[in-house]
Amino acid sequence: MSKVAMLVLALAICASAAEAQTAREIVAVADKVRNPERPFRVTATVTEYRSGTPVDRNVFDVFSKLDPTTGQFRDIMLYASPPRDAGKMLLLNGDNLWFYDPASRQSVRISPQEKLTGEASAGDVLTENLAVDYTPTILGTDVIEDASRQRRTCWHLELKAANDAATYDRVEYWVAKDGDAPLKAKFFADSGGLLKILYYRLDGNSAPSQAIIIDAVDQTLVTTVDLAAPHFQDIPDDWFQRDYLPHLKIE
Amino acid sequence: MKQHFAIALLFVAAFALPAQAQSDLDRIPQAANAPPPVPTSSANRVVYVQSDLTLNAVRGSLAVPLPPPAPPAWEARLFVDARLNWQIGDNLSLAYSGRLNLRAGDSLAFPSRESVRHDFREAYLTWQRGDWFVQVGRINLKSGVGLGFNPTDYFKTRAVVDPESADPTVLREDRLGTVMATVQTLWSGGSFTVAVAPELAHETPPYLSTNLPTFDPGFDRTNARWRMLAKASLDLPASPEFLIYREQGNTQFGLNLSKGVGQSVVTYVEWSGGRSQPLVARAFKDGFETGVLPWPAPMPVDGRKAFRNDLAAGFSYATDIGFDLDFEYDYHRTGLSGTDWRNWFATGGDPRFAGEMWFIRGYAADVQEPVARSSIFLRADWRNAFVRDLSLSGFVDADTRDGSGLVQFAADYDLSSRWTAGALVDVYYGRVRSDFGSLPKSASVLVKLSRYF
Repeated sequence: MSKVAMLVLALAICASAAEAQTAREIVAVADKVRNPERPFRVTATVTEYRSGTPVDRNVFDVFSKLDPTTGQFRDIMLYASPPRDAGKMLLLNGDNLWFYDPASRQSVRISPQEKLTGEASAGDVLTENLAVDYTPTILGTDVIEDASRQRRTCWHLELKAANDAATYDRVEYWVAKDGDAPLKAKFFADSGGLLKILYYRLDGNSAPSQAIIIDAVDQTLVTTVDLAAPHFQDIPDDWFQRDYLPHLKIE
Repeated sequence: MKQHFAIALLFVAAFALPAQAQSDLDRIPQAANAPPPVPTSSANRVVYVQSDLTLNAVRGSLAVPLPPPAPPAWEARLFVDARLNWQIGDNLSLAYSGRLNLRAGDSLAFPSRESVRHDFREAYLTWQRGDWFVQVGRINLKSGVGLGFNPTDYFKTRAVVDPESADPTVLREDRLGTVMATVQTLWSGGSFTVAVAPELAHETPPYLSTNLPTFDPGFDRTNARWRMLAKASLDLPASPEFLIYREQGNTQFGLNLSKGVGQSVVTYVEWSGGRSQPLVARAFKDGFETGVLPWPAPMPVDGRKAFRNDLAAGFSYATDIGFDLDFEYDYHRTGLSGTDWRNWFATGGDPRFAGEMWFIRGYAADVQEPVARSSIFLRADWRNAFVRDLSLSGFVDADTRDGSGLVQFAADYDLSSRWTAGALVDVYYGRVRSDFGSLPKSASVLVKLSRYF
C-alpha cells in the first residue's frame, strides 16, 4: 500500500458547512479539506501494520498550496523519518515530479508510477484532487459505520476517471450528509478489482486526524496516516521547482 | 417454497451487507487508536556509521602489465558519515558534510597515517534574502540528468576519493565539493545560478589508494584552477537547463532536458559541447605538467583542439510492482578511438611504457570520464523484492566497441529503521584486449553493515 498515496488521501478530508446539492459540488466541498484555502504545512505519520502489528513508520513534513490555474495541489514532501531517509524530498507540481536526495544534492525527475518509499507511488499523490480528476455521480444515500463505528447517513457517490492524472479507474465515495465530511472511499483498478478501502477518523465533524487505508488485495496490510493540525503559512510559488529543494530547511 | 427461499435470501443479504462493512472496520489494528510516537530524527541531520569489507579477485595475466602496487586482495573500512545543517540566523545557515574513515587492507600498514582519512566534502554558509541565495564555502555543485554519465557535471573532475563502489550513483554522493561562491535567484518560472571557483592549490598527479592524504582537504583536486559556471533552469515542458562553463580559456556549453511520457516513462537528454583535446592528449599533458610523465608521449597522440560533443540520452520505465528499469546511451567524443586502443595495447605491451599507459586509465578515472567513446548503461532497481525491506539493484556499463563491461549486483536489507545490511558484487568482463577485460580487477565482493542515528 502506498504510504504517499495514503498521506494524500488523508489530506483529502472535507470540513465544509456548505450544503452540497450536486455530485460535483459534494466532491468539490470534500476536496477543500485537502486544500484549505490557504497554503499550509502539516506533519503526517504513516504507519504500516501487518496482521495488526506496526512494521514500518515514516514521518513527512508536507508543504501544500493550490495552483489556481490548474485546480491541482502542489506539494513538497520532506522525509523526517526513518533516519536513513531524512532530508529526502518529493516535489509534486502538476506533471513535474522530482525526487531530491541530499546525499547527491541532485533532483531526479520521476514518473507517476515510480515507487519511492516501500510501495508508495507518486502517481497516487497526483490523484488527490478528486473533483478535477474524476467525474462524479450520486448513487444514492447510505447509512454506514464510520471509523469510530458511529452510524452516519452519507451521500454515496461514484467517481469515474476523467483524465490521465487519475490513478484509479473508479472510486466509490461516501460523504456525510451532515457536515459534508468524507468518511469512506473505495478505490478500484482498471480491471474492476477493489484495491483499497479508506476510512477517515474525524475530530468531531471537522478536520480529520487520521486516515485508515485497508488493502483489499493484501488482507494482512493496513496503513494509517496520522495528521497533526495544519499550520497555515505563506509558501511562495518559487518553492515548487527543483532548484529550490536544496534550500528547504525546517527547524 | 420459492417464496420462503426468497425471504431467506433477503434475510441473509440484509445481514451480509453490514457484516461486510463490519469486517472492513474489524481489520483496523487496535494500536492505530493511539497517537503515533514523536520521531527522534530530523531532516537537517543524517549521521550513520558503516563497516564494510571488500574482497577483490585479480586477473592472472594482463595485456598491459600493471606496475606495482597491485590491487589489494582485501580492504576493510569503518567510517562515520555526517550531513548536518544549522540555522544560525534569520537568513543564515551553515552546512557540513563529511566522512571520517578508518581503513585497513593487505596493501596498507595498520596502524599508519594512511589508516585514517577525513573526506571533507562540504562546508558552506548560505545567506538568503527573498528569492536570492548566496553560498560561500566548499560546495558540491552538480548538474545533469543522466544516470550513467553526466557530461554537464563539470565539477566532478578529481572529486571522488576512494569510492565504495563503481556505481555512478555512489560516485555522485561520495565526492568532494569545490571551494566556490555561488549566487542564485529563483522565480516561479525558473532559476539562474552563477558559480565561481578560485585557484587555491597547485595541481597534483592522481593519488593511489596507498598515498591518500589523511586530513588534507584536497584543494589540489578541486581548486587547482579558476572555474566558472552559469546555468539557467526554466519551468517549461522538458524542464530545460542551459549551462556555460569556463575553465582555463576553454568554454563548454551544456543542455539538460527531461520529460515524462505517460504514467511510467521518463525520457532525458544531457549534452555538452565545446573545444577540447582528446582524453589521451589531456592525460599525457597532465602527466607531463605534474612531473609524472616524460615528454614526448610513447604513443601517437592527437593533440588537436576541436569542438567535441558528449551525450547521454535515455529513458526510465517504472512498473507498478516497484521494479524500475533505466536504459541510457552514452557518447564521449574525447574517449579512446579504435586507433587509440590499438596504440594503447601495442605500446603497453612493452613493459617500459606500461606505466604511462596505465596513467591514461588512472587519469580518466580521476577526472570521472569514461574511457569508452560509446557505451550502454542499463540499470534495474527493485524495492521490496521478494520480501519486505529488501532492495535489489544492478547495472551494466558496456563499451559498445568491444562488448566488454562492468556488471554490478547489489542487495540491501533494512534490518530495522536504523540498521541496514548490504552486499554487492562487481564483475568486469570482456576479452583480454578490451576496455574492461584489460583491467587488473576481474571481480569484487563487498559486504556492509550500516547504523543510522
